[in-house]
Amino acid sequence: MSRKAVVGGATIFAALALWYVATSVTQMISPGRFPSPADTWAAFGQITGVGYANGVLIDHVLRSVTLVTLGFLVAICTGVPLGLWMGWSRKAEALINPVFLIIRPIPPLAWIPLAILWLGLGDMAKILVIWFAAFVPSVINAYAGVRNLDKTLIEAAQMLGTPFLTFVREILLPGASPMIFTGLRLSLQASWTTLVAAELVGAMTGLGRVLNAAQQDLYPGMILVGMIVVTLCGWLMTAALGVAERRALSWNTASQAGE
Amino acid sequence: MGAIRFDNVGRIYGNKQDGFEALKGVELEIADKEFMAVVGPSGCGKTTCLRFVAGFDRPTSGMVSVDGVKVTKPGPDRAVVFQQFALMPWKTVRENIELGLRNKGVPRAERRERIDRILALMNLTGYADAFPHQLSGGMQQRVSIARAYVLDPEVLLMDEPFGALDAQTRVVMQEELVRLARRNPRTVMFITHAVEEAVYLADRVAIMARQPGRVKEIIDIRSIREAERWDDHEKIEDVMDLESFVHLRTQIWRSLRQEKAMEIA
Repeated sequence: MSRKAVVGGATIFAALALWYVATSVTQMISPGRFPSPADTWAAFGQITGVGYANGVLIDHVLRSVTLVTLGFLVAICTGVPLGLWMGWSRKAEALINPVFLIIRPIPPLAWIPLAILWLGLGDMAKILVIWFAAFVPSVINAYAGVRNLDKTLIEAAQMLGTPFLTFVREILLPGASPMIFTGLRLSLQASWTTLVAAELVGAMTGLGRVLNAAQQDLYPGMILVGMIVVTLCGWLMTAALGVAERRALSWNTASQAGE
Repeated sequence: MGAIRFDNVGRIYGNKQDGFEALKGVELEIADKEFMAVVGPSGCGKTTCLRFVAGFDRPTSGMVSVDGVKVTKPGPDRAVVFQQFALMPWKTVRENIELGLRNKGVPRAERRERIDRILALMNLTGYADAFPHQLSGGMQQRVSIARAYVLDPEVLLMDEPFGALDAQTRVVMQEELVRLARRNPRTVMFITHAVEEAVYLADRVAIMARQPGRVKEIIDIRSIREAERWDDHEKIEDVMDLESFVHLRTQIWRSLRQEKAMEIA
């Protein structure tokens, strides 16, 4: 184990110990404000066992992960091609950019009331809001990726007589992909943030629903469980995206390491 | 076939009345299978001229044609070797060279065979699966030349191809290009600002002047090279020591220096 890992582990251990001491030994922090490790563990036991807020933990996780994944996929499947198109075609840029500039500064969460008005408290409203939130970074980064593409590479491809579809697949996409992946990471983060917020406003199940219910029940242990699980889910999905990125960009990471 | 012709070519940036006139009345003919080097002070528009032939840019007046057909867009019949190599960093050496052949619809087996042959010719055997960033600058430029040559183009356009290389690599590449060009003659338009390189490689050297950019003088090298049997010498430094070489080099230098003097005055 590296020195860094040892130090990191020690820090985490110290923080946990401090948490235990402050809440359970000295009671410097009242259990009504912040839960002790034992309370948190009990809440975890409850939500995995008998369940909480209309479901057991796995129900909430699956619901949230499914919605995030769907919203994220819809956003990137529409956002990335639109960004590529805007980056490539001046006409598309002139056409879409003004609309985009107006919509872009609207905070994604501000869409929630409208989405609920249109689609109710169901899944569709949440997917719509995630879409709005995750769409913007996908578009902007794909657009920038194309714009930053080395012009001589485009000329080289033209000189080689590359047909348009081959060009998109083998030059435009890989050339823009470092930026595209930056966009995807931001989109994924935005998806989680937005989903939790949307579920806080209204949902039957889901991690945001757990947080909301626990707040209304004045149940700090469950709030902390909800926060930890949301963090873990987000972290795991980001890690999965990182693996995909390293695979897709092996040429790029290798060239950076070589220099 | 692959004869290039510049017919009263001009290029103005901005509007026609008071825009910047980068090129004016450029007249140049490069015969089929001729190696033409173009030298000139920076800003004389030599790269722009090459880009007209490649089809990347268009003149605002006059016409650039290949075999009597006006150039309108880029294409694999006019392969370009770029100063900065312009290899796709996400493709291996083989994939980079293969792209043009695939675009032409060359069958897989033939592609393989042609790429292997060109790799051997360019001393790149064993690097087919390497990525560009794993190669030195000289080797990357060899891949770029291979990518152009493998298409068997009528015309090769080289835009200061050795400008980004160190001095030793440059010399090796010049010798290799001479070897390649003599064995496998193509119509070549070769932009450089290195006079020695131009004299060593070319059949003729076009000297350009600036403000506005135009072809000022064309020097015949080939007749002297053949009369003085330069090709009997294998090494570039031996050729560069020959009196006939030195004489031509000086002649071109003088012509260029006049340009510089006019600039100052």
